[in-house]
Amino acid sequence: MSVLEKELEVSDLNFDFNKKDAVTELTKEFGQQFSISKSVREQHTDTTTIHTSKLPDGVVFAENEIDVKKTVEICQKYKCPIIPFGVGSSLEGHVNALYGGISIDLNNMNKILHVSPEDGYAVVQPGVTREQLNVYLRDTGLFFPIDPGANASLGGMASTNASGTNAVRYGTMKDNVISLKCVMPNGEIVKTSNRAKKSSAGYDLTRLIVGSEGTLGIITEITIKLYGIPEVIAGGRVTFPSIKDATEAVIMVIQAGIPVARIELLDEEQVKACNNYSKLNLPEEPLLLLEFHGSESSVKEQSEFFSEIVSDFGGNNFESTSNNEERNKLWKARHDAYYATKSCKPDHEYIATDVCVPISKLSECIEKTQNDLTKYDLFGHIVGHVGDGNFHVQLMVDPKNDIEINNLNKFLDDLSKRAILLDGTCTGEHGIGQGKKQYLVEELGSSVNFMKNIKKALDPFNIMNPGKIF
Amino acid sequence: MLDKESQWLGKTYNKKNIQECISKIKDKFGQQFSDSKSIREQHSHTMTIHESELPDGVLFASNKNDVSDAVKICNDFRCPIIPFGVGSSFEGHVNAPFGGLSIDLNNMNEILNVYQDDLLVTVQPGVTREQLNTHLRDTGLFFPIDPGANASIGGMSSTRASGTNAVRYGTMKDNVVSIEAVMPNGEIIKTSNKAKKSSAGYDLTRILVGSEGTLGIITEITLKLYGIPEVIAGGRVSFTSIKDAADTVITTIQSGIPVARIELLDAIQVKACNLYSKLSLPEEPLLLFEFHGSKKSVEEQTELFGEIAKDFGGKNYEWTSNNEERNKLWKARHDAYWAARSYMPGTEMYSTDVCVPISKLSDCIVETVKDLEENDLVGPIASHAGDGNFHVAVMLDLNNKNEVSKLGPFLDRLSERAIKMDGTCTGEHGIGQGKRKYMYNELGNSVDVMEAIKKSFDPNLIMNPGKLFI
Repeated sequence: MSVLEKELEVSDLNFDFNKKDAVTELTKEFGQQFSISKSVREQHTDTTTIHTSKLPDGVVFAENEIDVKKTVEICQKYKCPIIPFGVGSSLEGHVNALYGGISIDLNNMNKILHVSPEDGYAVVQPGVTREQLNVYLRDTGLFFPIDPGANASLGGMASTNASGTNAVRYGTMKDNVISLKCVMPNGEIVKTSNRAKKSSAGYDLTRLIVGSEGTLGIITEITIKLYGIPEVIAGGRVTFPSIKDATEAVIMVIQAGIPVARIELLDEEQVKACNNYSKLNLPEEPLLLLEFHGSESSVKEQSEFFSEIVSDFGGNNFESTSNNEERNKLWKARHDAYYATKSCKPDHEYIATDVCVPISKLSECIEKTQNDLTKYDLFGHIVGHVGDGNFHVQLMVDPKNDIEINNLNKFLDDLSKRAILLDGTCTGEHGIGQGKKQYLVEELGSSVNFMKNIKKALDPFNIMNPGKIF
Repeated sequence: MLDKESQWLGKTYNKKNIQECISKIKDKFGQQFSDSKSIREQHSHTMTIHESELPDGVLFASNKNDVSDAVKICNDFRCPIIPFGVGSSFEGHVNAPFGGLSIDLNNMNEILNVYQDDLLVTVQPGVTREQLNTHLRDTGLFFPIDPGANASIGGMSSTRASGTNAVRYGTMKDNVVSIEAVMPNGEIIKTSNKAKKSSAGYDLTRILVGSEGTLGIITEITLKLYGIPEVIAGGRVSFTSIKDAADTVITTIQSGIPVARIELLDAIQVKACNLYSKLSLPEEPLLLFEFHGSKKSVEEQTELFGEIAKDFGGKNYEWTSNNEERNKLWKARHDAYWAARSYMPGTEMYSTDVCVPISKLSDCIVETVKDLEENDLVGPIASHAGDGNFHVAVMLDLNNKNEVSKLGPFLDRLSERAIKMDGTCTGEHGIGQGKRKYMYNELGNSVDVMEAIKKSFDPNLIMNPGKLFI
C-alpha cells in the first residue's frame, strides 16, 4: 500500500536517533513492564489507516507518572523516539512508529483519582476511557459528555482534541480540559494550570498540549469538566429533500438559540446502508437526527420550536420522543452507521476521514464531495456533526486495487483542499497525525513555522512522536 | 524611558539603539508618530499604583502593514514594543519599563465582516465591545463578553478577559475563533481558518489569547456571536452569609440551570452601593442574577433558582423580565465600580482579582474580608460567583504611607490564599507587571515552558518586555 505513503518532507527537525541503547537500558530498568515481543509491538502500531504499519522497537507498560518520567529520561538520553499509546483508536496514524523507538502504553494508568461534584470536575489518569468514567460517575448525577464514538482513552482524546456528536452543545476536548499534568521531553513534570474555572495567568499551556498529538509531552493526569445529567433527554429525526435544505434548517436552529445537544446528518447513501443493515424503512433522503437535553418543559419547547423551523425548510416525517427506548430506536441508524457501511463491502478496508468548514459552506462542501465519490468511483457514505460544520466520509476500499487506492488518494487530497478553500480545516476532530501533514501547511502557511518553533524549543531532539503533525 | 541600559530575561536593552530605532520610526511614519510628552504619558497610565513608565514614542497604526513595518524596524534595533488599546488593563500591561515604542491600535477599528449564518464576526483590534454591539444591533446577534470597561477587542483577547457573563458564554479563550497577528519577526500569520472546531496542529489561537502582547501584535480577530435572547430576566436576593450565597450558586450550577450572570456583592460593597445609588438594600451579601432564554424557559429557571435560594436562607428575592425593572434591580451591580470609588472620598482605588474552584469561593472571600479587617483596610468585594472569581477594590489614601505600605503584603496574601486553594492569582486581569512574582508559586516549572515559548517566538525579546516573566 505504499502508494498512499507521502514522501517524508525534508524537515529542519532532528531525525537522527539511537534506539538500540535505549532498548537495552529500558530492558534493565523495566523488566516485565517492557516488551520487545513482535506480537506486543504489532499491537502498538497503526491499524486504522492504510498507511504501512511501522513497529516500535519495544513497548513500556507504564504504571505511574514515575515510569513515564523514567522512560522519557532514558529516551532523551539516547535520542530515541517515544510514542504515547492509549487504545489505538486514532484515525490518522498517530501511533505508528515511523522511526521505530519506544511505544509507551498508558492503559494501566487508568485510575479515576478524584471527583469534585461541587466544582464539576474529575481528575483522571490518561488510560481511563470515557465509558469507564461515565460508569463510575453514574451515581453522582454527573457525566462527561464528549463522545467521539470509539471508547477512547481520555489521554488520547485530549491529545487529538477529540469531540464528536455532542460538541455542538458541550464543546470539544479543548473546552473541557481544565488542567493537565505532563511529562515534558526533558523529563520534567509540569502542571499546566490550577483548577479554577478560568485564569489569566500566563500562556495557555493546557490548550497547547491538548491537540498536540503526543509531540510535546506525555499527559499523565487530566482534570476535566463534568456536567449534570439532564433531567430529560429527547431524541428525534427528520428527513429532507436535499442536503442544502437540511443544513439551512440547522443554521436556523442554531441562530434561534435552540440549545440542541446533538444534531447529526446522514446522506442518502448512508441512509440506504442503514436501512439494509438495521432493517429500517427510512425514506432514502438526507436524514437529521437530534437530541435535546433539559427539563421536561424546556425539552418539549425545544422540540416544538425545532419542528416549526424544519418544516419551513421542507423537513418531513418529524418524529420525537423523550422515552429512552424509543429514542434509541430513532437513533438506531446513527448508532449503527459504522457497521452499516462496513457490511456493504465486508472484504474491503474501512477508511474514515473528516473535514470541518464554516456551517454556511457545509452543504456546498458535502455536495461537491458526493460528486467526487462518483467521479472517482469510490464507495463512501457521509455522516456529519452538522451543528459544527464537521463531517466524515466513511469509505470502503480494496487495498489490493491500485487504481482504487490511487483514486482514494486523489479524493482525500481534493477533500482537504476543498475544506481549506472554504475557510475550513482539513480535520475537525481526527488530527493531523501522519496522514494530513501536507495539508496543515496548506491550511495555515507560515503559522506552521511558529508551531515548529514551539516544538523545537520544548523538544530539541524531536523524540516525542516524530513524524507526526510536521 | 531607559537611563542607559537594562536587562530582562538575560537580554540587555540599550538606550542608544532604542533612540536610533525611534528616530527611524519617526522618519518613516511622520504624522502617524508622536514623541510629545503628553501623548507618551497617555500611553503609559497603569490604572494601578505602579509608577507610569513612558515609552520613547507612540505610533498610531492605520493597518497591519504599519504594524509589520514597525515591528521589523524594532526587531532590527532590539527596541521594545508595547501594543496599546484603550489602556484599561489593571496590571501595568501598557507600561514601558524599558522604554521603546508604544503601538496605538485605536485607528484600526473597522468591523470587517459579519458572517450571519456562521455566527462569526471579523474585527480589527481597536474595535471596542460597545462599538461592536451597536453595529450588530440590527442583526439580532450580539457579542456577550463584558469585562465592565468599554475595552478594545484586541486588548480583551490579549488579557483573556471575561466578566459578568462568562458563566454562560465563557471567556475570550472560548470566543476567539481565529487571530491574525504580526509576529516579532514582522511576519503576518493567521492562527486558524473559520471552522467551528479544528484538530489541525497546535492551538496558536489560544497561545496568543492571554499572551499580553508578549508574543505578537493582534491585527485581526474572528469572534463568535450569539443570538440575542428572546427574554432576559434578572433579579436579586440577599443572604445572611457569603457561604449561603456561594452555596446557592454551587447548587444552581450543579442543577444545570444555565444562568447567564450571577454576581455576588459583599456587605461593604452593598453598603457602598446603597450610598452611591440611593438604594436601601439590606447590608448583607447580595446575589444578582440574569437568565437568558425563551419566556417559558426563563420563567422556569427563575422559579427553580428561587427555590434553591430559599433553601439557603435567601431573602427579599425579586425578579423581573421587564428590561427597565431589571436595570433597577441590577443598579447596585452596574454602579458598583463608581460606588466603590466614591465610598471613601480622597482615596484611590486599587482593583485586583483572583479565582478559585467554586467550592472554595466562600472560604476565600471570608478569609479575605477578615484579612482586610485585621489590617484596617477597606476593600469592597464583587464576585463573578459562578466562576469562582472575585475582585477586591482596595481603597487607599495615597498620602497615608502606612496605609499604602499595607497594600503589597495584602495582595501577596490574597494571591497566595487563592493559589493554595488550587486557584489562580488572576482570573481575568492578567499578570502584567503586578503579578509576575506569583507565577512560580502558582505554576512552578511550567513557567519555564512558557519562557521557552516566548524565546522561540521572540529571540530578541522585543514584545512587551517586563511583563508576565520576572
